[in-house]
Formats: sequence, C-alpha cells, structure tokens
Amino acid sequence: MLESKPIPKREKFKLGFFFGLFTFVFALLVSMPRVGVPVLLGYVIYLIISPAVPTLEKIGINRTGSIWIVFSSLIFFSTYPFIKIVPTVTAEAENIQYYLPKVERYVTEKYSEFREEVKEKTSFEISDKYFLQAVEWVRGASTKVLLNAPKLVASFIEWVFLIPLIVFFLLKDGRAFKVGILRLTPNSIFERFYNLSHQFNKKLGDYIFAKFVEASIVGIVITSGLLILNVRFALLFGLISAFTNIIPYLGPALGFVPAILFALAEYGGGTTLGAIITLFLVANAIDIAIVFPILVSKIVDLHPLTVVVSVILGSQWLGIIGMIISIPMAAAVKLIIQEVYKEVYQGG
Amino acid sequence: MSYEDEIGRKIERSEPLPKRLEINVLKYFWQSNPLIGKKSDSVPRFLRKIEVLKNFSENELRILSHFMHFRSFNAGETVFKQGDLGVGFYLIYSGYTDIVVASTSPSGDEKKSDHLLTLEKYDYFGELALLQENSVRNASAISRQGCELLGLFKPDMDELINHYPLIAAKLLQSISLIVANRLFSLTVEVQELKYKIVSLEKENDAGE
Repeated sequence: MLESKPIPKREKFKLGFFFGLFTFVFALLVSMPRVGVPVLLGYVIYLIISPAVPTLEKIGINRTGSIWIVFSSLIFFSTYPFIKIVPTVTAEAENIQYYLPKVERYVTEKYSEFREEVKEKTSFEISDKYFLQAVEWVRGASTKVLLNAPKLVASFIEWVFLIPLIVFFLLKDGRAFKVGILRLTPNSIFERFYNLSHQFNKKLGDYIFAKFVEASIVGIVITSGLLILNVRFALLFGLISAFTNIIPYLGPALGFVPAILFALAEYGGGTTLGAIITLFLVANAIDIAIVFPILVSKIVDLHPLTVVVSVILGSQWLGIIGMIISIPMAAAVKLIIQEVYKEVYQGG
Repeated sequence: MSYEDEIGRKIERSEPLPKRLEINVLKYFWQSNPLIGKKSDSVPRFLRKIEVLKNFSENELRILSHFMHFRSFNAGETVFKQGDLGVGFYLIYSGYTDIVVASTSPSGDEKKSDHLLTLEKYDYFGELALLQENSVRNASAISRQGCELLGLFKPDMDELINHYPLIAAKLLQSISLIVANRLFSLTVEVQELKYKIVSLEKENDAGE
C-alpha cells in the first residue's frame, strides 16, 4: 500500500495546469514591463508595509480600518516628501548639468597630467584610446538618460496611479489571492509548495524591509553630513548613495564616485574633500559594522562568495535590476536546494 | 385553524391524515437557498463538534475557519507519506482516512505496511507537524473511498499568531491537549509492556 503508486492522470493534469499557469503569468509580466514593473514595485511596497496591519489589528482596530490607516499613511508619507523634495532634487539635477563640463574638464586635465608624469618617469606613453572611450561612454550614457527623461516621467505618472491601487488591493485581498492559488495547488505538492512559498515570501519581505531601512539610514547620514559640510547638491548625492546602497558590495562605491568627482572639481583636493571622504567612510562603517550585521545578514545567510557570484550573474543578465534582485533570488534558490536536499537525502 | 390543530383534530377523530410531508424535498429547497448553507458557514459548525476545540467561542471558530484549507482527496490518494516532511494538521470533514505504518524487517530486506487504524468524521491527525521544527511524518495517511479534509498548516499558524494571538494560544492549548493525551496513553502502554517484560524475564529465569 505504501509503494509509490504511479501518479494518476487527473493529478498529472492538475500539476501541468498549475505550473503552466505560473509560467504563463510570469512570462506575461516579464514580456509586458508596463504592467510587470508596477506589479513588482507594488508587491515590494506591499511586503514593506504589510507587517503594520496585524500590529494595528492587535490594538483593536478591525482589518479594513487598519488597512485604511496603513494605506493613507503610506500615501501621506510618500507624497509629502515628494512635494517637498522633488522640486529641490529637480532643481539640483538641472543645476548639475552646468557642473558636468567642469567635472569633465577636471578629469581630462588630471588625466593628461598623470600621463605626462608617467611619461617623464618611465618614458612610457599611455594611449589616449581607453580614456577617450570612457569619456565618450559616460557622455553617451548621460545624454541617453536625459533623452529618456520624458518617457520616464510619463511612466512615472502612470505608476503614481497604478502602484497605490495594486498595493491597496494586495493589502485588502492578499489573503483571498493566496487562498485562490492554494485551491489550485495539486494535493501531491500542496504541503511542500505552501511551506516553501511562505518561507520565500517571508524572507523576501524581511530582506526588502531590511534593505529599505539600511538605504534610508545611509541616505540620511550622508545627506545630513553633506549639509553640515555645506557641500552643494547634498540632497542629490545623499539620494544617489541611498539608492546605490541597495546593490550589494559595489553599491557603496558607486554612490561614492559622483560626490568625490564633484568635490574634486569644485573644491579641489583640500579639507572639504577629506571631510567628504571621511563622511562616506563613516557612513559605510556604520552600515557595515552596525546596520548590516543586525538587519540584513541574519535574514539571508549566504556565503560572501555566493553573494559576489550571484551579483555578477545578476548584472550579466539584467543589469542594475539584476544586481538588486540577485540576493533574494540566490536566497530563494538556496531555500529550494535545501528543501530538495531534505526531501531526497534525509526524508523518504 | 392552524395546520397543527387540524392534524390534532383529525388524529382525535381518527380521520385519515393528509399525505406525509416530504421532509427531503423541503430540505433540498432549504439547502439550495443561495443565502444559507454555504461551506463557509458549515465549517465553523463542523469545528463546534470537535471535542478538543470546545473552549473556542463561536466567533473564534469562525475566524479559525478562515485560516483552514479545504482539501478533497480521491479514493486511494495519499494525503501524506511516511518519512515526508510535514507542515499540516488535518481534521476529517467527511469520509475515511487510513493510517498506515511501514516497517522494515530486522534483516532489512523485507518491507511491510501495517494498517494501523481508520479515522472517520471529526477525527484528526498530523498535529505534531504544527509543533515540531522539521516534522517527519511517522505514518502515511491514505484516503479511503475519497475524503474531504480541513487542513491547518504551519504558515497559517504563524499568521494566526500574528493576527489573532488569543485564538492561536487556544489552538495551541487544544493541540497540547491532544499531544498530552497521547503521551499519557503511551506512558501507560510502556508501563504495561515493562511489566510484561519483567514477568517474562522472571518466568524465563524460573524455567532455567
């Protein structure tokens, strides 16, 4: 009676239908980024704010009430800074284009000085080719961003309406969606699928929440530090370092570069530059020594090598987005491998 | 004159009674009313009849029922296999479930499966999965003639703890009750077996 019986035809059909449906929805979202991206972003925001709902429910507010409170505070706390910060950031971003030639001139100057020096000391002439290529690439990339800006703004406006809608309905009907999916899950994989997807969602939610807090802390430290140092574009550089901080390992360095280049061009290699470098080092030290070990590392216990490799693979496949999602993906793969290991080697 | 009075009078005068009321037809129309008799209503009513859930209020049972999953199995379909990692606790809503244990002979080459018991409506099984970290099923559950089960799984338990700590505490109390009862009967059984072993040893010694 215990010998594993061949899977009945009906169950096979159910399994095929279930996985087919998943693949179809996934393919649909990937092939239509106009829907896929807001859905993904909405889901990420949902994962960040959903723990607030049970907390409110515990103090006696009913579910609908809690959802409305969480949702309205999300709207308030996300629109208020937008109204306040967006004009400043836009002004700063507009201003920075006047500074870009200055930075470029500075870098070119330094490069030719360096070249002269090398030539003098070692009588070896560095070819201009690579440098010119790099400058050309940077120029091309920034033009591309500027040219694409209207398109980005258009989709941004679309998202402003779409994402809150998605978040609201995920908060309200999240459980019903879950029950619906579980109802379709075939009996033979039900327990495993439910447990695995629950663990994955929990890990992803915790990871995104931790990263969000981490980026905010780094952004606040750097912005306030730059404001104290009275550096121009403090808010912009703070935002850049907060965003790049989401990318593991490479991110902090990426966030560091624009501010340093700007400081070099604007203030020269004086005390301000030293202060900025110290500020970035302190911010990263806080991140590495306090925030990361407490918040992030406990959630995704991946080996540093695994992290580096998955970040590289992610950047290879999907660029910056790939770098950001590589860690949760690696964590998911690890979870699945662990489950298969338990199933194949320990159980059965 | 009311219907009851009319019947009463006819019985007194021993007049022929009207044709018997078709209760089944009435029941059919009553149940096919879309406003009543939904499964979501019947689950709390079903839970009310479970002995270990008797300290739950009606509202608590209603909330608990939202966290449970309805699963139906065909005849002979496996609910879970011995040795699988388990996360679910099941209540039998309808039908029968066989609990089967496989054992390997001491030589290790012969496998046999023993039919342990058959569970029926209002019975439950798999409660250890909710309590243990990596719970391995120590028996298989197989549906007999098809059955409907109500399952509560570890993720639901986590969610219940977060959303309704009081209900979660009551549920854990009920599950502890099940486990404690089983432990108690096991202890009694172990004591009996010990006694048997001792008396057998004594007989053996006396025989030598």
